[in-house]
Amino acid sequence: MNKFKTLSLALSSAVILLASSCSKNNDDPTPAASKLTTKTISDLDGASKATVYFSLATGAEVTGADTASATKWDLKFKSTSIFTNGGTSGTGTTQAQVVSSTFEALTTAPTADYKTDATGAPAISGWYTYTAETAPQHAILATPGKIFVIKTADGKYAKVEMISYYKGNPNTTTAAFADLTTRPASRYYTFRYAYQGDGTTSFK
Amino acid sequence: MKNILPLVLVLSTSTAAFAQRDTTRKDSTKQLKEVVVTGTRTAKSLQQVPIPITRITSEEIKNRGLVRLNEVLSEQTGINILDDPHGQGIQIQGFDPAYTLILIDGLPLIGRSTGILELSRITTNNIDRIEIVKGPTSSLYGSEAMAGVVNIITAEPAKGFSGGVAGRYGTNKNADVSLNSSYKTNKFYISGFANRNSSGGYSLQPASGIPTVSPFHGYTLNGKTAYRFDDNTSLKLSVRYFTNDQDSRFSVDNNRFASGKGTEKDFNLAPVLTHRFSKKDVSVLQLYRSIYKTNSDIRYEDNHDIYDQTYFTQTFNRAEVQNDYALQDNLKLTAGVGGQYETVEATRYTKQQSFTSGYGYFQADWIPVKKLDIIAGGRFDAHSVYKSQFSPKLAASYALSDKLTILGSAGKGYKAPDFRQLYLNFTNAEVGYSVFGYEEAQAGIARLQQEGQIETVLIDPSTLKRLNAESSTAFNFGFRYKPVTKLYWTANLFRNNISNLIETAAIALKTNGQSVFSYFNLNKVYTQGVETDVTYQLFKPLQIGGGFQYLEAYDQDVLDQIKAGKVFTKDPETNLTKALKRSDYGGLLGRSKYTYNIRLNYNDEKTGINTSLRAIYRGRYGYKDSDGNGIVNRADEYTNGYMLVNASVSKLFMNNALRLQVTAQNLFNHKDPQVILNLPGRLIYAGVAYNFNKQ
Repeated sequence: MNKFKTLSLALSSAVILLASSCSKNNDDPTPAASKLTTKTISDLDGASKATVYFSLATGAEVTGADTASATKWDLKFKSTSIFTNGGTSGTGTTQAQVVSSTFEALTTAPTADYKTDATGAPAISGWYTYTAETAPQHAILATPGKIFVIKTADGKYAKVEMISYYKGNPNTTTAAFADLTTRPASRYYTFRYAYQGDGTTSFK
Repeated sequence: MKNILPLVLVLSTSTAAFAQRDTTRKDSTKQLKEVVVTGTRTAKSLQQVPIPITRITSEEIKNRGLVRLNEVLSEQTGINILDDPHGQGIQIQGFDPAYTLILIDGLPLIGRSTGILELSRITTNNIDRIEIVKGPTSSLYGSEAMAGVVNIITAEPAKGFSGGVAGRYGTNKNADVSLNSSYKTNKFYISGFANRNSSGGYSLQPASGIPTVSPFHGYTLNGKTAYRFDDNTSLKLSVRYFTNDQDSRFSVDNNRFASGKGTEKDFNLAPVLTHRFSKKDVSVLQLYRSIYKTNSDIRYEDNHDIYDQTYFTQTFNRAEVQNDYALQDNLKLTAGVGGQYETVEATRYTKQQSFTSGYGYFQADWIPVKKLDIIAGGRFDAHSVYKSQFSPKLAASYALSDKLTILGSAGKGYKAPDFRQLYLNFTNAEVGYSVFGYEEAQAGIARLQQEGQIETVLIDPSTLKRLNAESSTAFNFGFRYKPVTKLYWTANLFRNNISNLIETAAIALKTNGQSVFSYFNLNKVYTQGVETDVTYQLFKPLQIGGGFQYLEAYDQDVLDQIKAGKVFTKDPETNLTKALKRSDYGGLLGRSKYTYNIRLNYNDEKTGINTSLRAIYRGRYGYKDSDGNGIVNRADEYTNGYMLVNASVSKLFMNNALRLQVTAQNLFNHKDPQVILNLPGRLIYAGVAYNFNKQ
């Protein structure tokens, strides 16, 4: 009998605790609606064409006449180079910089030090390591802690982390990846990004 | 220095009260026989010398069937032979090979490739013993003696007429043949030694048709002569010549091959005059000239165009006087002065470059009470190119009893910037990057700018700071314990604080997307650990032994950055960035945290059969950075730990004059063809040696 008593007591108190914690959440003042969208784009195909254009606002590839637009695309991938829509790369005014951080820890975009693409000096560089003769040989591996912060042509901020240069975002430490005959195809870009649609520098 | 010395003194005085009296004279005379010279540049007993030192005898080396220095050192406790395309060098207390001075009869060998002196250049067939000093010894030897000193002491001839022949042949057509003969009277001796060492090479990727190690053959010639004018004056001359020819073959782009020959030559000449002014006062005048040359001519196999043609010539000249003076029976003073002139001329240098340097050193060896030995000394080096260096050292040993001696030392070590770091002028033809030594950077950048090859200058070469010597402060503390004659146990704790490490960093970007590098005093690193070794005579013919080292080697700047949350890695499963934790940092490349060895030796004097078995374990070590953060942290950045088992069986015939031997190295055929290129797999050798002596 005692056992049941203890059990029911535990159960009821657990329910109360759970309910109170829920209600606490409900009591929280609703924060101003953040227009932050966080997405992971898998295998953006840059293998079947020379360049692939991407819009952070729509989260989709941009093709056709829109690739000449000043605002309809933000990033352009060409082999291991990543360009922004501005300067020598496009008609827009997109700027970018590379910040050393984890994706999560970067909660506010810097306000200064953005660069526009120029000949031989793109705003985004140093995002990968080429392994040359070191195993896995001749691989392009995204360097950890390189977060791109993009200031788009229409003044919105986004942060981007490159994840993989290979189809299917493979584990690059395996024997299958080290073997050039079984390594997945390159120029398939996987990356995650957070796009702040409200024009603030906050990534929260 | 401040921290350890009082500790030593306190320990010494507190135990002095109940320290035992020296009663067993027999034991102490036996110990006196084991003399070492490298730690103090004077003859000291191995038990008393207050510096960590290992002594390997020729007999041990022969029982193990070993013939080259790399083979011998690879089996020693606390030493790792590193696998590097520039040669096989040694790691002591976590230091790279560039920081250990290699001596033959107390004189430095030159001819390093990116700091590595190829140890297989040195034969061990004509030696008496090898002494290995651990910890900085720049207080006596100057530059390079930062991790320690390896001194190869060649054999002195026996009285009368002696001679011998020895050979070893086996796997990979590895062959080593030595001849020696000598004649000695009371006043005079002359000895000659010749060695041929050759190999058919091997390939760890046989399908590629490219050798991992190409075939080579080399010769060592060594002559020594000495004459004693009277009881007080003697003159000694030694000449050593080494030459090695190696064929090489590479695959260059698109199924093209390049091949050719490389030649290496090393010549040393050393006259030594010793004069005893009195029983208490001895002077040694030593002259030394060494020349090291390499030449290589590699051509495309299809059209015989030049692929790479290089030469390198280095000379080293030294004159030195050392005076040993016994002020009192318990106080011996050693002082020396010397001057050096060095040159280098090579394909990768603009013109012939030279260094002039002068030095003086001083050492007091004081035995205030019988059981306490204090050594204090220092050396001042003045140099034509880099800042002067002062390297002090203080060491003490105390015999707590006949059986147990404790020892501690503190000192500074340094390594001068080498010719490469000062004068290199090199552009990689294939990849397109350039490297300039500190002295060449300004002219080099200006030239490239004129040629329109520079995109951006990152660091104005006129603002570069003068390159300083790399330096360390080190502490060693340990004991030697011999409770019974059968057992010998040593241990040593060490810590090395190294600063001003010279590293390359980019100073400009080229229009081809590559960088221009120069050298900087950048990093601060430390190494620390403990080493211990024990030998035990289990029963009459069987001796067992073992050694162990625990090592930590970290870059202080990386540790600080990790603390600040500025070092990242990628999770191999998701490829997402995460911040690195302190515990994930694996330390400097090529350092194994754990190494150990186990040794068995069965020596039956009745039958003349000696069996020797050694197992050498090297724990995993970081060998690459694959996640792009520049440090070792992820599991795939380490090798696997591995064990090598070496064995040898020999039998003596004809009153010990003839020895037949079978030797196996890497008995269980361990290979790691992707990562470790200096492990060819199992090697089996047959050996024979014959020696005679007529009084």
